[in-house]
Amino acid sequence: MKGAILRKKPRLTLLDAVIMLVVTAILGYIGYRITVGLHYKWNWSAIPRYLFRIDENGNWKANLLMQGLFTTIRLSIWATLLATIIGTIAGFFRISKSLFKRLLGRTFVELIRNTPPLVLIFIFYFFVSGQIMPILGVDDFARNASESTQSMMTFLFAPPRFLSAFISATVTVAIFEAAYITEIIRAGIQSIEKGQFDACHALGLSWKQKMQYVILPQTIQRILPPLAGQFISTIKDSAIVSVISIPELCFQGMELMAATYLTFECWITITVLYLILTLSLSLAVERLEIFMRRSTA
Amino acid sequence: MRIKSLLSAEALLAVISLFLIVCLVSPALAGDIQNKLVAESALEQVMKRGVLKVGMSTFVPWAMNDKNGQLIGFEIDVAKRLAGDLGVKVEFIPTKWAGIIPALLTGKFDVIIGGMTIQPTRNQKVNFSIPYDYTGQAIVAHKQLAAGFKTMEDFNRPDVTIAARLGSSSVAAVKQFMPKAKLTLFDDESQAYQEVINGKAHAMVGSAPTPAFQALKYPETLFIPIEETFTKEPIGFAVRKGDFDTLNYFNNWITVVAAEGWLKERKHYWFETKDWESTIQ
Repeated sequence: MKGAILRKKPRLTLLDAVIMLVVTAILGYIGYRITVGLHYKWNWSAIPRYLFRIDENGNWKANLLMQGLFTTIRLSIWATLLATIIGTIAGFFRISKSLFKRLLGRTFVELIRNTPPLVLIFIFYFFVSGQIMPILGVDDFARNASESTQSMMTFLFAPPRFLSAFISATVTVAIFEAAYITEIIRAGIQSIEKGQFDACHALGLSWKQKMQYVILPQTIQRILPPLAGQFISTIKDSAIVSVISIPELCFQGMELMAATYLTFECWITITVLYLILTLSLSLAVERLEIFMRRSTA
Repeated sequence: MRIKSLLSAEALLAVISLFLIVCLVSPALAGDIQNKLVAESALEQVMKRGVLKVGMSTFVPWAMNDKNGQLIGFEIDVAKRLAGDLGVKVEFIPTKWAGIIPALLTGKFDVIIGGMTIQPTRNQKVNFSIPYDYTGQAIVAHKQLAAGFKTMEDFNRPDVTIAARLGSSSVAAVKQFMPKAKLTLFDDESQAYQEVINGKAHAMVGSAPTPAFQALKYPETLFIPIEETFTKEPIGFAVRKGDFDTLNYFNNWITVVAAEGWLKERKHYWFETKDWESTIQ
């Protein structure tokens, strides 16, 4: 039945046509206002060069904006992974039998969730990373590493000169997102019917078996939609780290704006690039949900 | 009497021995401190690392990205030459203007070479080299909103809105010359210009020559109400406090390249010609 609905061909009704007409008219009006009302001089021809450029040898190279997009992707992937790990641990802490663990989990969630992310970023960048990174010797390590290690680091994380800033940014975003993931996981586990837990108990399953075979498979299916929302949020929230000058998409766009004064073109390009990233993730998660529903049905 | 003299003799002895100890110890101590100061100076760190880390912020035509994603501009030339003369590589750390001093203080880079004007309030937090350049504030206004405005007094009214870049010396200039005007601040200069072009602010105050360039680019909306710059502000390298070795090197480097005429030649290229413009757009 559900499959039938999904496969049904969309038909254009009169209402659809009217809505499309209205939307086009509004967009056209905004464009007209910007061009005529604000005397804005559009110069789209300058933008493609800042996405990709051809170097002296005739090879295609990523330029400012694409480099920024790649940094955003790297930052988001690492932050998501780290946030999932921290969030899962803290989520189990939140439902633990031990009071200490519950207090720890609760403190973490409330502390992070009730602080503006911008404040967290500044605290981390200027205080924590300023004190911890030199002790760990991240900067020296990155600089003195061999050529191949450096290029691998650049591919996985960031160029050596931005490495310590990149790490503090990733950790901050991860901690911030982890607070929300903690709550999603806690709510997910607690939403499983009490009978399931009782059944596990009656079958004499250990805690690990109970979680692995009964509780978590059901939990994951339930928490996938809010979790996906959180992952998409991570990509969007990563724009915040532009304030500490991480060369991610938003920062690079603003630098470009400062250099070229192409305000609207830059913002629109950045918006499109973010949309490409988040929409494709949305679609992928939707597919995954359908797949999981089928495999459990 | 005897006790008194005995006491004074003892006191004298104590003073002499103390003096001797100080004499013996202090040269060693002073030497240690001096060595430590030298080793900890940014200059020594730069030589050890082989890389000069320069904090800067995009500011046309001081520093900006060209079409190939390379940084170009007056400051970039200065920093590259400085690193070249030191015999080290240069690394630029683009940083938001509002956070550039905290970033220097927390050691994200060695020096700010970013068109930073020497101001007493800033000087309380960082040390400045001698000036290697001078800049001035200029004003560009909206043709309709600020129609007929010719003097600073015309802008010094509560119903006038002035846009400027957050944390820049333009802000101080506006507060000094147009204290009654309403001030709106932006992270980047381009946003401040956009505000005037959009007709939301009467005028924008920024470092010369960009206001004039913008007026040329948008002749139907923008105009220059006051031709000459209304401040003269020295620009210096900013370093962390207490680092006199580095400061001394920078000061003398500036004196040398200024005497060569190199600074003047570079300044002419970036500020008085527009040969570089084709590399941007």
